[in-house]
Amino acid sequence: MRQTETDDKIQEKQAILIVDDSEMNRAILTDMLQEDYRTLEAENGVQAVELIRKYSDAIDLVLLDITMPEMDGFEVLAIMNKYHLIDNIPVIMISAERASSYMERAYELGVTDYISRPFDALIVRRRVENTLMLYAKQKRLVGLVADQVYEKERNNSMMVNILSHIVEFRNGESGLHVLHINTMTEILLQHLVEKTDKYPLTQEDIIRISTASALHDIGKISIPDEIINKSGRLTKEEFEIMKTHSAVGASMLSAITAYQNESFMKTAYEICRWHHERYDGKGYPDGLKGDEIPISAQIVSLADVYDALTSERCYKKAFSHETAINMIMNGECGAFNPLLLDCLLEVAGDIQRELAVNSPEREFQVHETVEQILKHKKLHGYGYSINQMRIEQAKKEFFFEHERTLVFDYSELTNVILFSNWGRRLLGLKKNQLDLRKESSLLQDQNTLEQIRAELAKTTPENPSIDLKIEIHAFGEMKEHRLVARTLWSDGEEALRVGVIGRAEEVFQLDERR
Amino acid sequence: MNLRECYEAMGADFDAVLFRLRSEGLIKKFVLKFVDDPSYSQLEQTMQAEDYKEAFRAAHTIKGVAQNMGFDGLSQSSSDLTECLRPAGEDKAVDIAEADRLWTQVQADYARTISAIKAMNE
Repeated sequence: MRQTETDDKIQEKQAILIVDDSEMNRAILTDMLQEDYRTLEAENGVQAVELIRKYSDAIDLVLLDITMPEMDGFEVLAIMNKYHLIDNIPVIMISAERASSYMERAYELGVTDYISRPFDALIVRRRVENTLMLYAKQKRLVGLVADQVYEKERNNSMMVNILSHIVEFRNGESGLHVLHINTMTEILLQHLVEKTDKYPLTQEDIIRISTASALHDIGKISIPDEIINKSGRLTKEEFEIMKTHSAVGASMLSAITAYQNESFMKTAYEICRWHHERYDGKGYPDGLKGDEIPISAQIVSLADVYDALTSERCYKKAFSHETAINMIMNGECGAFNPLLLDCLLEVAGDIQRELAVNSPEREFQVHETVEQILKHKKLHGYGYSINQMRIEQAKKEFFFEHERTLVFDYSELTNVILFSNWGRRLLGLKKNQLDLRKESSLLQDQNTLEQIRAELAKTTPENPSIDLKIEIHAFGEMKEHRLVARTLWSDGEEALRVGVIGRAEEVFQLDERR
Repeated sequence: MNLRECYEAMGADFDAVLFRLRSEGLIKKFVLKFVDDPSYSQLEQTMQAEDYKEAFRAAHTIKGVAQNMGFDGLSQSSSDLTECLRPAGEDKAVDIAEADRLWTQVQADYARTISAIKAMNE
């Protein structure tokens, strides 16, 4: 490619997928292009979709024929549209069909270009080159913006984390408190905006509030050590001093004159000053009531109480998740917005899970912000960076190879199911990969399959998991297994089921471990 | 016989092909390859089996290859056959007498094309 001379970063040749049922036609195109590009070939639509799924981002362009056996070019385009693959991989249609209705349909399905047969070698090369240049430019721009936003966000949250950890360590806490509040704040806010439009918060607002939540206790650095680290109950006077931390934290922030108009500063101020207000107006320092308390502070307050209850402190032991939730619900730990209490109940399970893994660093948020900036539309879920996807793929392959469990990955796009090595042996299959369109009969347990299908049909993007006992032929013997699986869904406003992953374990194994 | 004479022998326009594909080497390579291309035998089998739906696809494939290679005669007759068989691709009835007539033409053009290629190769 000409570009290689000007752009050192692109060292590898770009890859083109050639889809045509005639081997000769594929060979002619390959011949024309192989000097400048790497080429892959597929002889029908099914193979093409499978290759696109397998290599996704590694494929830079698709040359697509229309009339093919198994699955024709229009069906390939329909799938690429349905799963938004066409947003990232340009398609040039090559066909002997000259009818304008064909061309129209192809363009409607998102092809970048339409080349009629018999084609001209120069035109094919030029159009391929132009299309790739256009997409490369766009991809680079997206990458550039992403890098900048990412860098900025990362530095920001790093600074905030350093600062808040200093406060935490002084309080004799691990620093996890800050991370927990960050995670919880975000989960609660995400759920709140899904549940109601009473508080119009954008994804940026949610990220900002979650990040600023780390600063809620900075005022505590003004509290004397003997009060902060006192193991017994605080006296009334000591408690009055302790209570000043929220107002002090806020005034520390307002003393920084440089950033007063920044929304982050405003949010941090709200959280610092008002995270000890109560919904019934009996909190401090200002006795604000109901929605006079900014939603940011209301949420952080709730998260703060929950984490304080479930953590061990110098003055108390840790309560269990259930006890903490009950105490909050019974009004033993303050008065909260009923709407937020509903949210807490509804996402209690998520919170417990997320906090248990202690992994609240949500770098994917950044990617999502970028996507929002670029697309100006609301997106659900977190975007994965390309690199992240490759890492995930490697992880998956590792487990599929070595784990001594039946693990499977089923793609709704291609109807192909992939079993772990152990799963293949257990089911007595010849190969790990099964095309269910052709080979479903190779799976012995058709009734079980129907049972699983019925369970899967009940899943939703919100409740994607199934957990059931099934009978399967394991190494030739009928045995009871526990199947745990989840459905995978596409991003976007209308989520589509794109696949299922899961594992099955013999039931006795589970009992033995307990 | 050289490549140009080979195209002349099959009644095709060599200059047009050379203009499109730009490389005599590439053209020659694929002209020779065409002898072993399976799409003609697929068309033959499907026509004999009266499986017109599959025959449509096979004719379409030959048409594509012949057009690319600039085999004008075969390109025209396979294109005619493709259009005649197109209803079968949509599970509609085909004019079988017409299809048989066009198939005979395709057979003749194919034979002429192949014998020209073989003559060049000798």
